[in-house]
Amino acid sequence: MNLLLWTLAVPLLTALAGLLPLPRRWKEIALVGGLALTFALAVGTASQFLAGAVPGAFDEALRVDGLSALVLVLSALVGLMSGAYGIAYLRRNEDRGLLTPWKRREFDALVPLYVFAMLLVSVCNNLGILWIAVEVTTLASVFLVAFHDRDTSLEAAWKFLMLGSLGLAFALLGTVLMFAAGRGVLGEGMAGLNVTRLIEVAGQLHPLTLKLGVVFALVGYGTKAGLAPMHTWKPDAYREAPSPAGVLMAVGMLNGALYCLLRVHTIANAALGPGFSSRLLLALGLLSVAVATPFILIQWNLKRLLAYSSVEHVGIMAIGIGLGAEAATFGALLHLTYHSIAKPLAFFSAGTLAQLHSSSNFEQIGPGTLGRTPVASTLFVLAMVIMTGSPPFGMFFSELIILRAGFAGPHLAASVILLGCLVLLFCGFAYQTGRLVLGEQPAAPARPVDVEKMDFGSLTMLLAAVLAVGSAFYLPPGLLELIHAAARVVEGGR
Amino acid sequence: MSQDLVVLCAAGMLVTAYLMVGQKALFTAIRLYAIQSVLLGGVALVMGLAGHNAHLLASAALTIGLKGLLIPWFLMRVIDRIGIRREIEPFLNVPSSLLICLGLTVVGYRVSTRLADGAQGAAHHVIGVSLSMLLMGLFLMVTRRKAVTQILALLTVENSVFLVALGATSGMPLIVELGISFDVIVAVLVLGVLVHRIVDRFDSMDVSRLSKLKG
Repeated sequence: MNLLLWTLAVPLLTALAGLLPLPRRWKEIALVGGLALTFALAVGTASQFLAGAVPGAFDEALRVDGLSALVLVLSALVGLMSGAYGIAYLRRNEDRGLLTPWKRREFDALVPLYVFAMLLVSVCNNLGILWIAVEVTTLASVFLVAFHDRDTSLEAAWKFLMLGSLGLAFALLGTVLMFAAGRGVLGEGMAGLNVTRLIEVAGQLHPLTLKLGVVFALVGYGTKAGLAPMHTWKPDAYREAPSPAGVLMAVGMLNGALYCLLRVHTIANAALGPGFSSRLLLALGLLSVAVATPFILIQWNLKRLLAYSSVEHVGIMAIGIGLGAEAATFGALLHLTYHSIAKPLAFFSAGTLAQLHSSSNFEQIGPGTLGRTPVASTLFVLAMVIMTGSPPFGMFFSELIILRAGFAGPHLAASVILLGCLVLLFCGFAYQTGRLVLGEQPAAPARPVDVEKMDFGSLTMLLAAVLAVGSAFYLPPGLLELIHAAARVVEGGR
Repeated sequence: MSQDLVVLCAAGMLVTAYLMVGQKALFTAIRLYAIQSVLLGGVALVMGLAGHNAHLLASAALTIGLKGLLIPWFLMRVIDRIGIRREIEPFLNVPSSLLICLGLTVVGYRVSTRLADGAQGAAHHVIGVSLSMLLMGLFLMVTRRKAVTQILALLTVENSVFLVALGATSGMPLIVELGISFDVIVAVLVLGVLVHRIVDRFDSMDVSRLSKLKG
């Protein structure tokens, strides 16, 4: 077995280990140990790629190129952070008697399973296998959304699964049509679904069938990415999922779905010329940013706020790709990287605030959290500063690159709308953060507030903060090389 | 001969989709889905026999076994246990629903003529039927309230995608088809579990009651 297969096997084994009825300590070690090993293996696979090899398996059905390596490393990193924070999250819930051993097993099995599916998505080079892997991420996350067994969690899980399955049915139709478009050239075997082969024979694909297939695939995978108007599952699912699972969805599912969009986009670019899928992505991206803006201004729930922030960011990435300029593509992938590194901080600090106040509604958390929970509140403010793209943090630069490319190119109106929305979004986040963190302490708190403790969760949160801030000043050269390689893949298709 | 049989099976699938739109008893709707899946298996079977294609035969067996028998049996068990038999009045009444579906069929056929070799022979009808069924499945999904009916609508959409695969190509590679079938089974199981939990919690599987989350 090569390194790539081990990278996929380890999280799967960790998931199996999660089902065992072991003592708590052992289960925690197995979860974090497994995910840490997965991250190390993913980094190993990526460095194999950087050294010039093209790791692959199963007759090129799995193949690591620049784009794959980038998403692989980021997903594995988020998986590790989510697992580490998950341990603290479960401990806190256990202290309050909210956790049964069965629930712990469910969590310990589903999180690594989800990580496995995420990693599988990121190395797929075959449209059929890609679809199967995305479906596995969906199925693994349903019970994580329904984890708390409240009325609202069931509602969120139902909507999530129905909308997700519908999106995937569209994506499957798109896959079938793309397969049909290449049938005359590539035959009926697995080669007909192979992305690299499809790009090689791009000129001979049946144009109209391919066009229809590309549209269905983009809409289908766009649903999974949470692009407006198919984003409606996102606020519900993010609100109900426990924060460690929320961050897996917000980064893992988003990156995975974007990976699918990019693969479809490169095939469309090669076969139908630039402009066809770009225009669709640009429109969906602009709509996402525009839809997120008002909902952030009027938001009443902390985790839904994060969900709309995620709709905004996936919109920005789609715009970056849709602009079609080389610089903008690089900007979009840089944005993806910074977003993946910064998002855990936002989720962990917001999750801690919500957990200490036993609710994620602004009304129940109340103003003046800075006085009650200083560490989590400070980190939440920091996360919001980073997420809104303020200098000197990374997303400021990636957004600037995208905007510059936009103003230089033919899509002037789109760039103006994006800039306007970004300014409004900044004000929205500043207002929401301000009314949560600042202000008088309420005279009589509605519910007793737990005291902030220095536990494992706070440590993970601090580590996430160090990563998020540190990435602004230092990106490892290998990671930057991966982003460039990924941009080359999106531009040239190899 | 085999072409006629394929078209006959596909037409049968379209009929089951129409009957499903006009149907309120949940058991009958599930049986209609079972018939639809068996007909889908029939399309694959005839095409496999005519073209001496072993993997189409395997996929026919898979379709009939899983979607014609296993999934309907599981869904029947779910509604048997929760004891809800009928769809309440849908958001749109039956006659107007049927009229809308007629329009959707026309749209589906219109689109199918423009696909690769979709304009001639059996493939035209097969793709036309499947695109119409796709649209009707989406329509069912937004107009019905019971959780089980929504699952059936989703499965109809899924059947229609498989029919496109048969019409536009001769089926996906077997390994991909196996993976997809496995995922669909797991999805139905997960949906069944969710329906159980929803009924336990709300004493109803009316999904229009799931409306607390807004904004």
